[in-house]
Amino acid sequence: MTKRYVLVHDENKCIGCQACNVACRSENNVPESVTRLQVRIEGPYGNYPHLHFKYNRVSCEQCENAPCVKVCPTGAAYVDDNGIVSIKEDKCVGCLYCVAACPYKVRFINPETRVPDKCNYCKDTRLARGEQPACVSVCPTQALVFGDANDPDSEVRKVLDTKPSYQQKVHLGTQPRLYRIPGRKGGIQA
Amino acid sequence: MNLDRRTFIKGAGAGTATCALASMLPGSLAALERTELKGTGSEVASICEMCSTRCPISARIVNGKNVSILGNPKAKSFGGAVCARGGAGHSQLYDKQRIVKPLKRVGERGEGNWQEIEWDEAYAIIADNLTRIKNEHGPEAVAFSSKSGSLSGHLFHLAKAYGSPNTFTHASTCPAGYVIAAKAMFGGKIKRDLGNSKYIINFGHNLYEGINMSETRGMMNAQMEKGAKLVVFEPRFSIVADKADEWYAIKPGTDVAVALAICHVLIEEELYDKAFIDRYVTGFDSFASEVKAYTPEWAESVSDVPAEDIRRITREYAAAAPHACVDFGHRSTFTTEEFEMRRALYAANVLIGNIERKGGLYFGKKASGYNKFAGEQVAPVLAKPGVKDMPKSDAKRIDMVDEQYAMMWSSGGIYQTILDSTLEAKPYQLRGWVMSRTNPMQTMTDRARIVETLKKLDFVVCCDIYISESAAYADIFLPESTYLERDEEIADKSGKNPAYYVRQKVVEPIGNTRPSWQIWKEVGESMGLNKYFPWDNMDTLQLFQVGSDVALLNKIKQDGFVSYGKPLMLRERAMVQNFVSAYPNATAPDGDGTYASHLKFKTPSGKIELSSDKVEKMAPGRGVIRYREVTMKKADELFFIQGKVAVHTNAGSQNVPMLANLMSDNAVWIHPVTAGLLNIQSGDKIRIYNDTGSEEGHALVTPGIRPDTVFAYMGFGSKNKELARATGRGVHCGNLLPHVTSPVTGMNLHTTGVKIEKA
Repeated sequence: MTKRYVLVHDENKCIGCQACNVACRSENNVPESVTRLQVRIEGPYGNYPHLHFKYNRVSCEQCENAPCVKVCPTGAAYVDDNGIVSIKEDKCVGCLYCVAACPYKVRFINPETRVPDKCNYCKDTRLARGEQPACVSVCPTQALVFGDANDPDSEVRKVLDTKPSYQQKVHLGTQPRLYRIPGRKGGIQA
Repeated sequence: MNLDRRTFIKGAGAGTATCALASMLPGSLAALERTELKGTGSEVASICEMCSTRCPISARIVNGKNVSILGNPKAKSFGGAVCARGGAGHSQLYDKQRIVKPLKRVGERGEGNWQEIEWDEAYAIIADNLTRIKNEHGPEAVAFSSKSGSLSGHLFHLAKAYGSPNTFTHASTCPAGYVIAAKAMFGGKIKRDLGNSKYIINFGHNLYEGINMSETRGMMNAQMEKGAKLVVFEPRFSIVADKADEWYAIKPGTDVAVALAICHVLIEEELYDKAFIDRYVTGFDSFASEVKAYTPEWAESVSDVPAEDIRRITREYAAAAPHACVDFGHRSTFTTEEFEMRRALYAANVLIGNIERKGGLYFGKKASGYNKFAGEQVAPVLAKPGVKDMPKSDAKRIDMVDEQYAMMWSSGGIYQTILDSTLEAKPYQLRGWVMSRTNPMQTMTDRARIVETLKKLDFVVCCDIYISESAAYADIFLPESTYLERDEEIADKSGKNPAYYVRQKVVEPIGNTRPSWQIWKEVGESMGLNKYFPWDNMDTLQLFQVGSDVALLNKIKQDGFVSYGKPLMLRERAMVQNFVSAYPNATAPDGDGTYASHLKFKTPSGKIELSSDKVEKMAPGRGVIRYREVTMKKADELFFIQGKVAVHTNAGSQNVPMLANLMSDNAVWIHPVTAGLLNIQSGDKIRIYNDTGSEEGHALVTPGIRPDTVFAYMGFGSKNKELARATGRGVHCGNLLPHVTSPVTGMNLHTTGVKIEKA
């Protein structure tokens, strides 16, 4: 059976410290003007004193039904065997359709390679070395869990089976593989 | 050329990819023609220095140049994690604006005109000036200051060899409040076991933005995995307030009232641990009679925290005892009553008897003490390098003007007395200042007074990696190798069991920098003080520490972090049982299976001094913890408070490229009601001012702040042109804080009053 790599972001544990952002930048050599990963601290929402922030991870959602892949005219954008939305640089003609099609606005043109870029769970670097993605390893508060959801013994499976989670913009039928555990204080603004 | 669409985009992107380099600063990395970068290994364990938590790290060389940095997984409580600042260490290392050659000032002080010089010339100028001051005015006329930490001892050793008693850490601008209060009550520093706490009361110790990795992780784990309850009292809706189960927007500076009311309820409702008090505490009766007046209703009238909530929270806290704690906080001095506040926070812990209990407070278990309990050499004891027959100074320290500060003289000193001594010759005239890795212009208060001081001094030396706002006024700038380019002594990192770790070179030094231990040794030698620096290099010192046990040294270097034995808390039965079964020759436990009878305190009475005769003698009227009303601001002013942000370290990291990219400005938080009255909207340019100074910035209108208070993250708004990414961006907090020294702790003050208007 192939792997089904998923990532779970726990908005209760996340403190928005950007350790993931910096580690991702270092690991994947992401140029200064663009980013594969941010956590946006949004709010505060609610009425005083019942306020809350939302910790919104902004990175590739790894859609199972990925609009960026569907619109790619050359097959440069594809979903690999492990479910990671990937890019074959050689096949890319720079049409930007994928950047436009992404409902989550997380694809960008890398100013150095001139090819669309985005989070790929560190598949060429850390995953290839048998390590967890940089953001997961570095997270100070263990807010991220990554693994193969097809493996019933995986931690990620256990988390998804035992905690409430949501995905963003599911009404578009994209089936994201980035899951979020909603903050216990706020509602879900998917 | 094949002009397809992709090449076209390539061309379009090329323009944005070129980043505008700041003008070539003399001595900067950018001014070097080419740098050869040599890595010393592919994965090196070391110690971070992007802040003072000094987390164990593992640094990697990629393509011979780039270093990525993660946590060292060998250090369990750090979990292999680093924060954004730690992860950006290589961005600082390779920053083109870093200074990598010694510099000499050629214009006026602070004007920003520098000339590159060689180390020998720098040393000769320093030796000339320091020797001249010594001969004409005595060595005490020169102050030496350094951010406390791994290498500050080397600068202070130079001061001693030179003959000056005037050494200062950053203590009175940061941690001295809780350190001095602990000294008075417990006889020394104490640690928090947040990770095992079931109930945590927090007075704005923002561990989720001012990240202290093991404590931050511990608290989050306690909250989310073990169901601990967190109550936060803070005027601002910070991240820690967001993560709390309950948040109270307490009136700035009234924390001591709520802490005393908690103590009041604990005593009045007899929720305190009487047996613990009888056995370990002195001064309870006078404390109890003082606290009688501090009812929750009184606290509510002072602090805006509802009395019924104070009562309920105290009862919940007591119900979780002893596995509960009141966090005694860290930096900010909320009022001049800092000493009373920190002691009141400690008192709320003492009353529930959480000392040496899981989830409470405990003392670090260093090797020598731990081995004694174990009856065997579980952990190696490191030797302390020292030099015999150091010169003794007859001069008094410049901060020895008032006996009430006596506990500070050996705890870093009162840093800001450098200003009084220079400008007012109190108690005598200071003429020189040698500083290392410190930026008082930002971290001390009353910036204008610091400028005056630096302009008046005869001679100023600064050692740093950037030309900080303070270094901008130096006569000689000495470029230090960053922490990724230097070796240091083995450091003690003991918690509940002994541990050591070591900082070591990840790459060879870039440009012409030197580690500061070498710089201060060479400065000493240039003044003929060779005999006080008998070691050759860091290897000599490390070998001395391990008693020439090369295998031990190699083990510590290889692993980066080595811990020994089992965690031990003297009053935790299960831990003591575990300990005793591991070590057959261990000290026999008491009848109750603990080491409770071995818990001693290094105070005059040997007990926890809830009230203290020693303090009463030093500072009459302060022996017993007491509330005093303080005036924090004028009636028509707003409170101005500051705090830390997760992506910057105080005033030290604003110019680091990756971190400047994340945040280079600090908005001023204003409540919507207040903003409405002032006709201010988010993003508006504003002026924030008071009698001390005036700053321009922009507003962030948010309900996450009290209507009578404004907030800004500290460390921004540098005014010197050398910090190209930080200068002129945001509000300079130190320029708005008055020069005030708090009783007993010597702390300068971090809350004041300001007015705001549209700019």
